[in-house]
Amino acid sequence: MKWGSDLSTLVEKFRQYLKPGYYDEFDYHWTMTIDLDRCTGCEACVVACQAENNLPIVGEKRYARNREIKWIRIERYWEGEYPDVKMGFIPMLCQHCDDAPCEIACPVFATYHNQDGLNTQIYNRCIGTRTCAVYCPYEVRYFNWFTYTWDEPLEQQLNPDVTVREKGVMEKCTFCIQRIRLAKDNAKDDDRRRVRDGEVVPACVQSCPTEAMAFGDSNDPEAKVSKMMKDPRAYTVLEELNTTPSIVYLKKAHAES
Amino acid sequence: MSKISRRDLLQYIGAGGIGAVGGVLYSESIERDVELIIPQVVPPEDYSPGIATWYNTVCNQCSAGCGISVRIREGKAKKIEGNPVHPVSQGRLCARGQSGLNVLYNPDRIREPLTNAGQRGTGNFYPISWDEVLTTIASRIGRLKIENNASRVRLLTGRVRGHLDELFAQFMGLLGSDHYQQYDFTYPSALKAANKISFGIDQLPYYDIKNADLLLSFGADYLGTWISPVHHSLAYGHMRQGRAGRRGKTVQVEPRMSLSGAAADEWVAARPGTEGLLALGIAHILVSDGHYNGSDRDQWSDVLQAYSPSAVSAETDISEGNIRQLAREFGTSKAALAIAGGATTAGTNAVASAVAVNALNHLAGNLGQPGGIIFNSDQAFSATPGTRQAGMQGILDLVEAMEAGEVDVLLVHDSNPIFSLPDGVGFRQALDKVPLIVALSSFRDETTEQADLILPTNTYLESWGDDVPDPGVGFPVASISQPVVTTLYDTLPVGDIILSLARQIGGELPMAMPWRTMEEFVKERWREEYAMRESGGADQDFEAFWQAALEAGVWGQPGVMTGDQIVPSSSSTIAAITNPASQFAGSETDYPLVLHPYLSASLLDGRGANLPWLQELPDPLTSVVYGSWAELNPATAEDLGIREGDVLEVETPAGSVKVPALIFPALRPGVVAMPIGQGHTSYGRYARNRGANPMDLVSMQIDDRSGDLAWAATRARVRNTGERLQIIKTDGITRTLGRQILGPENDHA
Amino acid sequence: MSISVLDALRPARKPALLGLVAVFGLLIGAWVHGKYFSDRSPVQPIEFSHKVHAADNEIPCQHCHIYADTTPVAGVPSVSKCIGCHKFLPSVRDQPEILKLMAFWENREPIPWIKVHDVPDFVHFTHKRHVKADLECQECHGPVETMDRITRVATMRMPWCVDCHTEKNVEHGRDCWTCHK
Repeated sequence: MKWGSDLSTLVEKFRQYLKPGYYDEFDYHWTMTIDLDRCTGCEACVVACQAENNLPIVGEKRYARNREIKWIRIERYWEGEYPDVKMGFIPMLCQHCDDAPCEIACPVFATYHNQDGLNTQIYNRCIGTRTCAVYCPYEVRYFNWFTYTWDEPLEQQLNPDVTVREKGVMEKCTFCIQRIRLAKDNAKDDDRRRVRDGEVVPACVQSCPTEAMAFGDSNDPEAKVSKMMKDPRAYTVLEELNTTPSIVYLKKAHAES
Repeated sequence: MSKISRRDLLQYIGAGGIGAVGGVLYSESIERDVELIIPQVVPPEDYSPGIATWYNTVCNQCSAGCGISVRIREGKAKKIEGNPVHPVSQGRLCARGQSGLNVLYNPDRIREPLTNAGQRGTGNFYPISWDEVLTTIASRIGRLKIENNASRVRLLTGRVRGHLDELFAQFMGLLGSDHYQQYDFTYPSALKAANKISFGIDQLPYYDIKNADLLLSFGADYLGTWISPVHHSLAYGHMRQGRAGRRGKTVQVEPRMSLSGAAADEWVAARPGTEGLLALGIAHILVSDGHYNGSDRDQWSDVLQAYSPSAVSAETDISEGNIRQLAREFGTSKAALAIAGGATTAGTNAVASAVAVNALNHLAGNLGQPGGIIFNSDQAFSATPGTRQAGMQGILDLVEAMEAGEVDVLLVHDSNPIFSLPDGVGFRQALDKVPLIVALSSFRDETTEQADLILPTNTYLESWGDDVPDPGVGFPVASISQPVVTTLYDTLPVGDIILSLARQIGGELPMAMPWRTMEEFVKERWREEYAMRESGGADQDFEAFWQAALEAGVWGQPGVMTGDQIVPSSSSTIAAITNPASQFAGSETDYPLVLHPYLSASLLDGRGANLPWLQELPDPLTSVVYGSWAELNPATAEDLGIREGDVLEVETPAGSVKVPALIFPALRPGVVAMPIGQGHTSYGRYARNRGANPMDLVSMQIDDRSGDLAWAATRARVRNTGERLQIIKTDGITRTLGRQILGPENDHA
Repeated sequence: MSISVLDALRPARKPALLGLVAVFGLLIGAWVHGKYFSDRSPVQPIEFSHKVHAADNEIPCQHCHIYADTTPVAGVPSVSKCIGCHKFLPSVRDQPEILKLMAFWENREPIPWIKVHDVPDFVHFTHKRHVKADLECQECHGPVETMDRITRVATMRMPWCVDCHTEKNVEHGRDCWTCHK
C-alpha cells in the first residue's frame, strides 16, 4: 500500500465531499440581486409568492403562535430615535447558500444542492425533524405544523405546477423551480438548449413594482445579475458565516448632502 | 405424515383465510385513488391541456387602473401579473393587485339575487330569481318615470370610469334624473380642487416622479396608497437607480412615517395641519433667496411675505435651519417636484395646503417639464375621469335628500359610505327614509346589508368593460377589461344589469341603449372612436384592431409628453394663497393628542379586509397581521404609562374605540395614529368583527374650500383600560444590533 | 443433561405452520386482488379496444393522442375525435359500444375514462419531453396494440422512472427537482 498515492486519493475524495452537492461547477448558477435602494418594503413580492406557490392561509390563531409561512418576508430595521429615526427594509428569502448549513443538517437528504446551484427541498423525502430550520441562520425555513385547508372555492386558485404541502414537511423558497423548469423546457423545444437571460423570472421578481429584484444565471457574464453583483454597493447578508449565499443585496445608497 | 385433526384443519383454513383477506386489504390500501380522465367533447380551437393561457384585463383593486395579465389553467384563474405592455403597470403589480384572485374565489361572494323580504337591517336575506328582482325594480323606476318623478331615483357608485361610467350616466339621464354621483374615499378631491384653482384644469395631472431629482412629498404616500402606487414605484425605482450617475432625493413631510416616508432620505415631522404653511415657508425662501427669477417675482414676494422662516418654524415646529436647507435643495435641484396628499389634504385647510404645494411647483418651474407636472390633455374617448366624484359634500347632499323624503329608489354600486364615512354623516339613518334600496354588489358589505334587494354583480375578473386611467400617463391610454374566466355563480355584470333594466323600463331607454350586453356596448364605442381617430377606418380594419386591442389589453398613443403643454400662469395660485390654520375638533385640554388615521397599505380604505391574503400580510411598517392598533411615540407612551399591548380606549368628540397600543418610533409625539381598514361589522368571514374603524372616531370636520371630509382634523385622548391584548406581529427584534444586515457599515452611515 | 433442538422446537410446530399458511394466504390474496380487483386494468365506460384500432386498423398512436408531443399531459382524444371517424362507419354503427359512444355524443357529454397511467400530484411529468426524446409509446405503456382493455404494465413508481433515467443518461435526470415539484 503506497501511503502517498492513497493519501492523495483520500484527500481528493475529502475535497470533493466538501464541495456543495459534489459539483465542481454549476450548470446554471441561479442568482438573485436585490437593490435595497429601490426596495420600498411594499410586500408585493410576498403576495406574489403566496399566489404562485400555494402558500397556506395560516389564520389568526396560528399566526399568534408564530406559525407564519411566508417564503419571502420583509424585515424592517429601525435606526436611531425620534426625530432622527430611519427605517430600512430587506426582503429575506432562502439564500440558496452554496455552503448551506441546512444541507448538512438533514438526516435524510431531503434538502441538498442541485446542479443549478439551487438549494432543493423534496417534500416526499422530508420526515420533519426540523433540524434544517434550526441550522438556517437566516430563519427562512418554515414548517407545516398543520395540514392547511382553503375555504371553498379559494382552492381553485392553487397552482397545479406546485405541490400542495401536508403536515409534517419543511418548505421554503424554491426560486420558483416550476418556472425554471418551464423555461428550460421551452428552451429545449426551441433547440436552444440554454435559457436566455430574462426568460426565467420568479414570482417575486416579476411583481416588484420598483424593479428592485433581478434574477439570472451568474455563470453568464452578460446576465443582468452578473453586472449587478459587481456594483460597489453589493454585499451578502451574514457574510461572516461563510454560507456563500446566492442572493446579493445592494446596500441602500445615501443622498448627497 | 401425521394426521391432522379437524380442529387443526379448521385453524389452518382460518389462518389461510385471514391471510388471504389480509393480502387483499393490504394490496387495496397501497393502491392509489382512481382518477378519472375527462376529455373535451369538442375542444376549443387553440386548446392545449396543461399549457396556460393569458388574458389581459384591468385591475380594480384601487383607482390606479393598472393593466394586468391573468394566467388561466383549465378555465381557472391561477395568477395575476402586471401587463407588460400597459403604460401604468408595465408588467409590475402591487400586493393588492395580486390579491385579486381572492376577490374572484372569495368564499363569501353573493352567489344569487337576494331579497330581505321586508326585514331591512336584520341581516336576513332570501334567494329570489333574476326575473322577479329585475321586474320589481324596473316597474318601480318605470312608474316614477311615467309620473315624471324620475329624479327620485338616485345612483351612488364607487370609482367608475370608462364606458361603464357613460352607461350609468346615459341610463340616469334618459330616465330624467341627474342624480348619479360617485363616492370613493381614496379619491383625492382636495388635490383636484386645488389643481383646478391653480391650473384651471379639472383633472388630476401626471406627476412625473421618474425624471425628478428632488421629490418633496407633503403627506402623499405615493409608494403605498396615493393615486397610482405601482406606477409611482416604477418611477421611484428609476429615479433612484435607473439613471447613471444621478440619484434622485426624496423628502417626506408628515407626522407619521408612511411607506414613502420610510423610503425617503429625510422625514420631516411637522406639526399636524401645518404642512401647507411649511410649503409656503419654503416658497418664501425660494423667492427671497433668488432661486426663483420669473417675471412675477414681485407678486410672489408680496403674497409670501408673511411666511418668513422664523414665523413658519415656530408654527410648524421645524427648525429654521432645516427649512432653509429644504428650500435650498429645492431651489438648486435640476428637477424638483412637490406633491401633496394623505393627512396634508385631509385637514380643514386641505385645499389651501395643496395650493401652497402647487406654488412650489410654479416656483420650481416644473410645469409641463420632465420631472414635473404634466397635464393630461387629450384623453382617450375625450374622457373626463373623476368628474362625478362628489366627495363627502355629495354624500351630505344625498343624505339631506333622503332625510327629506325626496328619494324613492336608491341604487348603490361598489360604494360603502356607512363604513368609510363617520357616523356623523347620518347615512345609515337617512336610509330609513328610502322605500327601496337596491345594491349591485359582489359582497355583503355594511352598505349592502341595508339593501332591500341585492343584485349580485360579476367581479372585475368576470366582466367586460374599459378604463381610462386617472391620472393618465401623459398621453391617451384606454385599457380593455375582459372576463378571464366564465362567470362562477348566478351573477351578472353590472353593465348588463343596467341594460336589462333599460329594456324592461321601456320607452326611449331601450332605443337609445339597444345593446344586449356590456361587451356589445364597449365594442361599439371603440368602433366609433376608432373610426374617428383613423378618419373613417373600415370595419375589417376595426375587427383586426379590436383583436389586437384585446390581445394587448390596452391601447395608447405614446407621444411627446412635454412640448405641447400649455403652462398655466401663476396668477391664480398667487391669488389663492392663504394659510388658514387647521381646525381640530375637540379642545387641546380635553383631547391632548391629534388623531392621525392613515390608509392601510394592504386594506386601503377597508375594501381589502375580506381578502385573506391581505389580512395575512404583515403591515409594511409595523408587521401586524389580522388586527388593528393605535400607535404612540415611545416618549408619549412612556409619559402616559402605556406599554405595547395595553388596550387603550381612544376617545374623540365623535366616539370611542378600544384598540391595543403599539409603540412606533417614527411618529410625532402628541399624535395617535391608527390604520384605516379594519372594524367591519359585515363583509365576510375574514373582515367581520375584527379590529376597530378609526372613521368611527372622526368628527364631521369639513375643508372650507372643497366641502370634503377633513378626516385628519380630530383631536383624541387615550385611556389605558388595564386590559391586555396580544398584537400579532411577525417582527422580532427590529434593530440590526451590529449584525450589518442592511449592509456593511462605512463612514457614510 | 442434553436436550435435542428438534424436541425443543416441537411445541412451536403448530404456530409456525399456522404462520406459514397465513403468509401463503396473504400471497394468494394479493395475487387475487391484483388479478380481479386492482386498478391495473379497470373496466372503462366504453369497452374501447386498442387492439381493434391500433393493430387491426393500424391507426398510429398520435393520430388520436394529439397532445402527446406538444403538451405536458397527453390526455385522451376528445369525443369529437371518435365521432370524426365513426360518423362514417355505418358497418359498426349498431354495435353496443358504438351505441354508447353515440349516446355520449348526442348529449354532448364527455366520456369519463378511468385513468390507468397516473402519477401523483407532486410529480412533474411531461409527455412532450419523453415523446421528443424518441421514446416509443410501448416502452412505458407496454404492447398497447395487443390490448383489448388497457392494462398498466409498468409500476409507475419512482424506481421505475429512475432506472430509465439512469440507463438513458438523462441530463440532470437524477436530480430530485427534475420530477418532484
